[in-house]
Amino acid sequence: MDGGLSGQDPACGAGGRAGSRAAAAAALGAGLGGSVQVRHVDAGSCNGCEIEIGQAFGPVYDAERHGVRLVASPRHADVLTVTGPVTVNMAQPLRATYEAMPRPRLVVAVGDCARDCGVFAGGHGVLGPVGDVVPVDVRVPGCPPEPAAIVAALRGVSGR
Amino acid sequence: MNPVAAALGAAFALAGSGAIAALPAPARWGPAVVGAATAGVGIAGAAAGGAAVSGTVWQAYLPDLLPLAGVRLAVDPLAGWFLLLVGGVAAVVGVYTIGYLGRDGHGPAARGALAVLPVFVAAMLLVPAAGSVSTFLLAWELMAVTSLLLVLGEHRHSPAVRTAGLWYAAMTQAGFVTVLLGLTRLAAAAGGESFAAIRAAGAGLSPVTAGGVFLLCLAGFASKAGAVPLHPWLPRAHAEAPSHVSALMSAAMVKLGVYGIVRVGFDLLGGGARWWWLLLGALGAVSALYGILQAAVATDLKRLLAFSTSENVGLILLGLAAAGVWAGAGQDGVAGVALAAALLHAANHAGFKTLLFCGAGSVLRSTGTRDLDALGGLSRRMPATTALFTVGALCAAALPPGNGFVSEWLLLQALLHQAPQAGTVLTVAAPVAVAVVALTAGVGVATYVKVLGTGFLARPRGDGAATAVESPRSMLVAMGLAAAACAGLAIVPVVAAPALERIAGELRAGPELFAGGGVDLRLAGIGSIVSPLWVAVGVIGLAVGFAAAGRALGRARRRAPAWDCGDGPLTARMEYTATSFAEPLQRVFDDVLAPEQDVDVTPAAESAYIVRAVAYRRRLPDRIEAHLYGPVIAAADAVGRAGRRLANGSVHRYLAYMLAALVAVLVAGVIR
Ligand code: SF4
Repeated sequence: MDGGLSGQDPACGAGGRAGSRAAAAAALGAGLGGSVQVRHVDAGSCNGCEIEIGQAFGPVYDAERHGVRLVASPRHADVLTVTGPVTVNMAQPLRATYEAMPRPRLVVAVGDCARDCGVFAGGHGVLGPVGDVVPVDVRVPGCPPEPAAIVAALRGVSGR
Repeated sequence: MNPVAAALGAAFALAGSGAIAALPAPARWGPAVVGAATAGVGIAGAAAGGAAVSGTVWQAYLPDLLPLAGVRLAVDPLAGWFLLLVGGVAAVVGVYTIGYLGRDGHGPAARGALAVLPVFVAAMLLVPAAGSVSTFLLAWELMAVTSLLLVLGEHRHSPAVRTAGLWYAAMTQAGFVTVLLGLTRLAAAAGGESFAAIRAAGAGLSPVTAGGVFLLCLAGFASKAGAVPLHPWLPRAHAEAPSHVSALMSAAMVKLGVYGIVRVGFDLLGGGARWWWLLLGALGAVSALYGILQAAVATDLKRLLAFSTSENVGLILLGLAAAGVWAGAGQDGVAGVALAAALLHAANHAGFKTLLFCGAGSVLRSTGTRDLDALGGLSRRMPATTALFTVGALCAAALPPGNGFVSEWLLLQALLHQAPQAGTVLTVAAPVAVAVVALTAGVGVATYVKVLGTGFLARPRGDGAATAVESPRSMLVAMGLAAAACAGLAIVPVVAAPALERIAGELRAGPELFAGGGVDLRLAGIGSIVSPLWVAVGVIGLAVGFAAAGRALGRARRRAPAWDCGDGPLTARMEYTATSFAEPLQRVFDDVLAPEQDVDVTPAAESAYIVRAVAYRRRLPDRIEAHLYGPVIAAADAVGRAGRRLANGSVHRYLAYMLAALVAVLVAGVIR
């Protein structure tokens, strides 16, 4: 791991690290072997998390170095990243996306909203956290989580 | 009795009795009577052709049948090949007609229109059987008139049929005039009107006369064959005619234009100058390319098939051109291969185009539309028709193991051959021709993928397609026969080899085309081999192997719904239409096709940034038609309007015209 990156990683916290380790184990068990294709679904976020994910794949953090790639279809994806609380309208598309993925598959919930509805808890049209709709394997806390945290979580999945 | 004579006699007798029986037959039985008679005429014609291609020749002179010239018939192997082709197509179409026009049928079952059908087939048989200029012209005109009547079959239902009929009538008669001028000039120069007399004198004609005759005949024959730029009648007539008539016209009648070119160019005139054949080659190349490009972007199923006819005729003409050029260069063996390729492609095209037009007719009958954009999903509702159409499309796309592949391979062999003393023109022309064939084949594949994919697969995009029902058995049987013929030609084209050798020998091209027996096609002069049987076995074996391997290895296979972006359900509006599928091709060939496109964005009342509706309109006018025929038609119109002033209703004036005409004729006679 690049020392500089992990150094700017205060917000990731123990939870992130622990999650990463668990995911790494899961990923190795699932045979993802250093190459992870990611499909992203915005289930109702404020787009703050999207901006950070964008940064994670940008030139500074460059998650692709670690064998992680964003793809355009769940048919091509091993990992689903989900942001935001799941809204009533996005619940079914999220389920369908999860169903469309080939096995084995993992779900990474990015951001506080995805974990527990965050600031939107109890809001109009909010169905619940991601875990209520699809099984979640890795959680990345933060509102929004820093790109470094997202990269760390994805590295945990890719094992590189 | 000569078997050719017996079979032809039977054909003409059947045609006559079929036509007569159709008139009083009750409406319910009319289609069956006519269909059976047509099929009978076809079988008899094919029998005559079969006998002729296996070496039986027949000649007859019936002086009392017609005044002045009488009727002269002469059947040689070349005529036999086309008799076989026309007869085979008619036999299939006859069976098809029974169901197509029968109960709950589609199209006109009016007695007159029915009765013409067997007569049309008989006229098509008479064209290759004719042995003199007068008989030939008579048969040609009979064929033109009967086919025109058949094209107009549905004129009550749509004005487009009337326009098509007008175009066809004008062009076929103009073509007849040029053929008439050419052949009568030839007969006058040769000092006799029987083909035998002309053949004997043909070599001694002056090059100017021979060239003029060839050009005149070529204009007429090429327009009948639908070669670009003499084609505008074809997409109209083929699209608007009842489908059984389209099949007969596209598969059989168009080939008689090819027959005319072979008969006059190779046989009667005995070869001729190289520029004839280079001109023919240019015509063929333009037809092939323009035809397939228009087909690729067409959305009307029958119009698409019609343009594909132009394309295939172009390939046939390319083959004939190569034959003429190589024969002139003394390369008899290669010339024979080129001729064989052209003739074989004519037969192959007859096979798959019969099948495809019959398939299109079934679709039209069952869905009420020819618009590919409104079709789709027929594979579920019309599985047999879809399967048969697929066979035809495979053959038409010239992919192995289809029959189109074999003849296009032969054509390429003839074109790729480079004679050492060919000269600059041929050194340039031959590779260009190869490129044309390759590009045509490529676009052809895209075209037929489009037809099959958007017309028959996926989901129905229109009510007609959603409620389609499978065709009656007689139509399926007919299409099955055509598919079997295609398969036969595809897998064992060797059976045609002796006939092709005989024809080539008769036309003074290489006598020894194919070496050795077996299932392979070995070209003696060029030394290449193709084995359609093994190609077919290989392709089918691979396909089956892959399917079996997939099944065996795919233990973890999982059935999942089609991905719909999570926002399902999928609707037919999300599918590729024929228009959208062809859009990239249309873009690539933008400069050639010059489509007229129009995108209209209507914003919402509240804001210009909110779109309320987007309308897209596209028209693909036939450019050659617009630029070449538009001015001619406009000029004819103007002359007609001006001419109206001459006829002001005054009897005195008309009498003066008559007197002037009489005086002019007398003066002309005296001066001469
Ligand atoms: S976690 Fe924060 S940044 Fe992410 S979607 Fe929720 S509110 Fe927006």
